[in-house]
Amino acid sequence: MIKVSDLSFSYRKGTPVLSGINLELDQRSTAIIGQNGAGKTTFVKLLKGLLKADEGDIFVNNHHVKETTAAELAKTIGLVFQNPNDQMFKRTVLDEVMFGPLNIKMDKQQAKENALMAIRMVDLQGKLDINPHDLSLSEKKLLCIAAIVAMDPDIIILDEPTIAQDHAGKEKIKQIIKALKDKNKLVMTIIHDMDFVAENFERTIVFNEGKVLLDGDTRQVFSQKDMLKKAHVEPPGITQLAEMLGIQETILTVEEFIHRNKEAARD
Amino acid sequence: MKSISLYVDKESFIHDFDPITKLLYILFALFLPLILLSFTVSFISVGVSIVLLMAAGVIRKTIPVFSFVFLVLITVVIIQGLFRPENETILFQIGPLAMYKEGLLYALTITLRVMNIVSAFLILVLTTKPSDLVETLVRKGMSPRIGYVIVSVFQIIPEMMASMSTITDAQRARGMETEGKLSVRMKAFLPLLGPVILGALINTKERALALEVRGFNSHVPKTYLYEEKTHALSKWVQAILLLLLVGAGVWRIFG
Amino acid sequence: MNKIVVEGLKYKYPLSDTLALDDLSFQVKEGEFIGIIGKNSAGKSTLCQALVGLVPHFYKGAYGGKVFIDGLEVKNQTIADISLKVGMVFQNPFTQVTGSKMTVYEEIAFGLENIGIPRSEMIARIDYVLDLLKIEQVKDQNPFDLSGGQMQRMAIASIIAMKPDILVLDEPTSQLDPAGSEEVFQAIQSLSKQGITIILAEHKMEKVALYCHRVLLLDDGKMVDINTPGKIFSRGDLEQHGVAAPVYTRVCKELGVRKAGTSEFPVTLAEAESVLRGRKI
Ligand SMILES: Nc1ncnc2c1ncn2[C@@H]1O[C@H](COP(=O)(O)OP(=O)(O)OP(=O)(O)O)[C@@H](O)[C@H]1O
Ligand SMILES: Nc1ncnc2c1ncn2[C@@H]1O[C@H](COP(=O)(O)OP(=O)(O)OP(=O)(O)O)[C@@H](O)[C@H]1O
Ligand SMILES: [Mg+2]
Ligand SMILES: [Mg+2]
Repeated sequence: MIKVSDLSFSYRKGTPVLSGINLELDQRSTAIIGQNGAGKTTFVKLLKGLLKADEGDIFVNNHHVKETTAAELAKTIGLVFQNPNDQMFKRTVLDEVMFGPLNIKMDKQQAKENALMAIRMVDLQGKLDINPHDLSLSEKKLLCIAAIVAMDPDIIILDEPTIAQDHAGKEKIKQIIKALKDKNKLVMTIIHDMDFVAENFERTIVFNEGKVLLDGDTRQVFSQKDMLKKAHVEPPGITQLAEMLGIQETILTVEEFIHRNKEAARD
Repeated sequence: MKSISLYVDKESFIHDFDPITKLLYILFALFLPLILLSFTVSFISVGVSIVLLMAAGVIRKTIPVFSFVFLVLITVVIIQGLFRPENETILFQIGPLAMYKEGLLYALTITLRVMNIVSAFLILVLTTKPSDLVETLVRKGMSPRIGYVIVSVFQIIPEMMASMSTITDAQRARGMETEGKLSVRMKAFLPLLGPVILGALINTKERALALEVRGFNSHVPKTYLYEEKTHALSKWVQAILLLLLVGAGVWRIFG
Repeated sequence: MNKIVVEGLKYKYPLSDTLALDDLSFQVKEGEFIGIIGKNSAGKSTLCQALVGLVPHFYKGAYGGKVFIDGLEVKNQTIADISLKVGMVFQNPFTQVTGSKMTVYEEIAFGLENIGIPRSEMIARIDYVLDLLKIEQVKDQNPFDLSGGQMQRMAIASIIAMKPDILVLDEPTSQLDPAGSEEVFQAIQSLSKQGITIILAEHKMEKVALYCHRVLLLDDGKMVDINTPGKIFSRGDLEQHGVAAPVYTRVCKELGVRKAGTSEFPVTLAEAESVLRGRKI
């Protein structure tokens, strides 16, 4: 769905932020992890057409990003910003979520329906008339997710969606990702929460200093401890525990751990 | 994000001088011609300023400013030359319009004065970081709060521009056309104003919190990261400027 | 010695009709490292801001009860005076930039200039925190041009440089990479060992369990409990309060294994490993 070739970018001459990135992204749900400042946010802004590549090409569902305006791409690819304050500019929660659908020429009825459904998914239906800036940080993050989900694009990118979320909030986001996957959308998430990565994503890409350091099945990626360390990330807690206990295979979730334990007890 | 200041980051002996000396120079350039009421003095003063601007290596940056000033002044020259009530002596005539000597001289004086002030100001503005200027004033006893406001004012335009581009990004990310034809960009521009202003207000509140916990209102005497800029010759230059001014005043009164 | 004493603290934001903090009482000793946990809107940030005096001085609103810092009552002091003693890092890293400085280096200096730190010491402190938070490489960059994580690191650095007696941190590592997050917790722990009192609101339970001496559990503005991580995370009603225990605790609860000789479940990786070691898995 997305093809990136030889992508390079810098904000200022002489300090490259991304260099020589080649990636193909398919329907598999994908996590992007890596050190602060590795270039993750920059990368997804390039995919979205918000920044222009210095070199290389990006194709999103056959749109050549270089030759398409960000607005034209909006139907196809949605991005939830890392800083919610950068994304919100309407006066009420409902307007904020309706803005996108209306702009991509969805008819009013449909736009409202989509918006209300997205708002219900993040559990903000009680706050339709509130000014987005009066929400708490965790609610702002959820609102920004709803604003993109309502547009129903084929590709959805979330930049650190779980910031400030409690257990229930993370659970909501998990459900949303699952619902999107069920609709065959590509969900891509930049995230520092390794447990969340292990539980929700099939594929994991590790960025390091503007390059792709690792890319593969999440399980396979989390088995490469030394490489992860180099990128300032680590396997999830449960994976570490399993490894310390001498389990050979890479365990990703509590369920897997328990399941294995029960099997072992039965033998 | 950049600052709106016209400051040119270069090395020169003019840059090395402290803001106070430059402020004093502005006063000097402003008052000397007024005290002496002399055409020649104004002329020399402008000349000196321009030489200083060249020495600082910033003369090219003055061109847009001077061009703008000239544009305004030319209208003054024309209007005064043609229509000043005291006009008597015709210098030359173009069709039905007569250009008079009195008006032209008067306009020339104004032009010189304005040039004089502008060029003196440019020395300060082009060779001093706004934050250095404010910091110097705070050291001399201006309230840090006022200082903060002044520095923030220098930042308002770039900040508004940054906030505008953030919101534009938010809009085009969700399908609003903001690129391309002028008409498209104009259409996208107006709806930006509301959110930009609202955003600025919200920022102000959140920033106030950030300032509070960083001891902004503390009564402890403030210290500074950078040493106060002084030039070995500062005191001398300041003294000479003041002496000249006082001298001119005395000469005017008793001379 | 008690560094912080909170007695019957109640607080309601203006225009709100529910109590954000409802009758809180607890004490914190010098050098203690306290974690505040609870679901979204439980009141964690509000409590943090009550300790630095932003509640009630900045927000106004209805305030009852007392908060003492070093024996001085917060209500009778100005935020400026309290800020000399208590430093606070806010939840949202994007809104903590002063907006009057052009580089990260100067931004960190801002607080130090205000509290009158002499230049040579100022420079030493800035260099120290730049290194501690690993942001030397962006020190000359504009504070607004940083990545999310770098901005959060700068916010923490700016406050640590001011060397407050009490450090209040509101989810300070939400945007940090795992290694950075671990480093920050270790740095905070070492500050606590030097006698600095730490109050930290956090959703990362594994970190709270590993580093905090005691944990304060909030729900709907009320204090449910304040106790050791082992006791708090072994509670049966955690989920009712909207909190999930550390992953290590959850596994052990599921498997029904407790720490030897106690009724508590393991809460850290090391504890879980030691009770599960030798089991056939
Ligand atoms: N507007 C900008 N101008 C100049 N440099 C920038 C700008 N935005 C980001 N950078 C720099 O580019 C690099 C990559 O930033 P980016 O935001 O892509 O990182 P990231 O991987 O998303 O990090 P994080 O996990 O902290 O969000 C960083 O070193 C950052 O300082
Ligand atoms: N500025 C404010 N004005 C009015 N009400 C507020 C304000 N800030 C917070 N509240 C309300 O006070 C209550 C406690 O909020 P607080 O931000 O302290 O929760 P929290 O535990 O920090 O949540 P989170 O985990 O989302 O950060 C919530 O009901 C919230 O809506
Ligand atoms: Mg980022
Ligand atoms: Mg909070």
